[in-house]
Amino acid sequence: MQKQTEWKWKIQSETRWFRWNLSEIWQYKDLLNRFVRRDIIANYQQTVLGPFWIFLQPILTTLVYWLIFSRIAKISTNNIPPLLFYLPGIIIWSYFSDCLNTTMYTFLQNSALFGKVYFPRLIVPLSNVLSQTIRLLVQLLLFLVLYFYYYFGTDLVHPNLYILLMPLLLCLTAAFSLGSGLIISVLTAKYRDLDYAIQFILRLFMFATPVVYPTSLVPQKYQFIFWLNPLTAVIESFRAAFFSATVVRTSYLLLSVFSVIALLTIGLTLFKRREQSIMDII
Amino acid sequence: MSNIMIRAENISKVYQLGKLGSGRFREDFRYWLQRKAKADTNSTLADQNILWALKDVSFEVTQGEVLGLIGNNGAGKSTLLKIISRITSPTSGIVMGNGRVASLLEVGTGFHGELTGRENIFLNGSILGMKKKEIDEHFEEIVDFSGVEKFIDTPVKRYSSGMYTRLAFAVAAHMDPEILIVDEVLAVGDAEFQRKCLSKMKEVSTKEGKTVLFVSHNMQALKNLCNRAITLHEGRIVDMGEPEKVIGNYLKKEKQLTTTLHFPDIESAPGNESIRIMSVELAPALLPGQAVPDIRTPLTISFAFWHTDQSRGSLIVGIHLFSISGEFIFDICSNGDLSATGLVEGSCTIPGNFLNDGAYYISIVFVKDTTKRLFYYESCLSFDLEDYRANTAWYGKWKGSVRPDFPVVLNVKDATNS
Repeated sequence: MQKQTEWKWKIQSETRWFRWNLSEIWQYKDLLNRFVRRDIIANYQQTVLGPFWIFLQPILTTLVYWLIFSRIAKISTNNIPPLLFYLPGIIIWSYFSDCLNTTMYTFLQNSALFGKVYFPRLIVPLSNVLSQTIRLLVQLLLFLVLYFYYYFGTDLVHPNLYILLMPLLLCLTAAFSLGSGLIISVLTAKYRDLDYAIQFILRLFMFATPVVYPTSLVPQKYQFIFWLNPLTAVIESFRAAFFSATVVRTSYLLLSVFSVIALLTIGLTLFKRREQSIMDII
Repeated sequence: MSNIMIRAENISKVYQLGKLGSGRFREDFRYWLQRKAKADTNSTLADQNILWALKDVSFEVTQGEVLGLIGNNGAGKSTLLKIISRITSPTSGIVMGNGRVASLLEVGTGFHGELTGRENIFLNGSILGMKKKEIDEHFEEIVDFSGVEKFIDTPVKRYSSGMYTRLAFAVAAHMDPEILIVDEVLAVGDAEFQRKCLSKMKEVSTKEGKTVLFVSHNMQALKNLCNRAITLHEGRIVDMGEPEKVIGNYLKKEKQLTTTLHFPDIESAPGNESIRIMSVELAPALLPGQAVPDIRTPLTISFAFWHTDQSRGSLIVGIHLFSISGEFIFDICSNGDLSATGLVEGSCTIPGNFLNDGAYYISIVFVKDTTKRLFYYESCLSFDLEDYRANTAWYGKWKGSVRPDFPVVLNVKDATNS
């Protein structure tokens, strides 16, 4: 029997903590690309309005919120035109919740695929986040159209240098939803009840996020708790950038960045650690 | 000596049994506490309701070898392939290998109905681990091979199932791995597809020198394609070596079908007040060195019963042969004039080179006075005929219920070149 010491690959039971193997993701970048394509093409097949749904959802939601929260409930929007005030919050919130909702079902919805062929499992949540990001960018164009209308037509909105933070803010949202989604995906694969709990919490969480109100309405003593939510920092910084109506404290922003990095680290570690053993219990 | 492509050392795989319910979390928590308490995990595992899907499996595969895995359902074949394909991890042990692995545990994995054939070729290819460049290079060949070029821009949900399978297999057939893992793909699709599948595998292993791991229940295909075979039984390797020998041993052991039934006690014997069965038996006339009956083997059915029916008329005994899927193959009956009561013996021989390969069962019917059914002894015997083919390159399923041995005769009437 010939002895060989050089092996190209090894399969063993234990997966070491902190072995993310991100270079493997790069090798599978074609697959990532294909999954994104598939999501975008397949999503609007056989619909009458097709990709227009990407615009229609935020527009309709904004109109409803404007009617309920601004006209009826008369919640302040810090003198920002209400439509313009709600739209970014709605776009960012739905980006977050769509990313989370697809990421958290990574194992449950792909069990047939995962049971038949190997590829880095992380490709699936990454492709979900990427295709959601494309949707987000398209929706932001809608916001810009509305914004320019008010910018040139009225004297109510002024941009400032916070705009440079935009890429960071979007990355922060993506990382927040990915990190928490990965953790939840591992847990829901085993304990399905969590699924119901998460959906419920997610609905309540929207009201803990300043989508339909400005954070300035929150009493001073609760402010800190509100700012623990990374989405508060994202949405408020976004408004600060385009409307110059509020100021975001740098410490709060940094807090969000660090907590999101921590969450993403935990999520990635847990996911990589459990991705193979989960296949035995689904 | 050729290179070792895969080496598996003592791989074991444990599955936890039991229902997944509300007690799950508490159970896990208790298990976790136990594990923290004592470092020895083996003793806690033993308490649980567990199943060893694989136990201490070790083997090596060298380059260019085609290794067949045999075993009945639940023997651990698929678990082993899943471990080598990195779909699930072993509980203990290690698998090491050299070279790019492609697993074909299913054809058309990840196909999306809403996408066109073209998009699906790229999607499926990427899922199987091909780079975009490779797919681009092989695209024309894949489309040619699949024979669906007319529909390449139609969503695959509009495809017939045959077109779908052909396209899926075409993608898989153009992968370029060094190690190919194939699980039961031959079980799907029509004969034509299976033939294509098998000849492609033969080509891959012989011409291109690729290493193949192959699970199938098609013994004929295994015999013809493999250089070596392994039998798994309840998660352990029980036999390894020459395919011919290993398959023979396996069939002899596993296919224990009902071939004899004896009822010494008349009270508990099947039957009624008219007929009591004493014995039924099926004896194959095996050739020297043959382990199991194949299509060449004559089979003799013999039976004995008590005939106690006093009514007028003669008794007729009929033998009904069915394929395992329930198709009625034939109905033959005794002739002559039997009216005496008492112990009766009978026999019937199904000649060799008459039935096709497959599984069959026999029922015996007892009829009085041409129409009055006394007793129907349903599916009392069953047997399996293995395939036998000499000098052929065709391993697909031979169609039809019977395969009688009379040839189609050809005569050259007018030779064009002499």
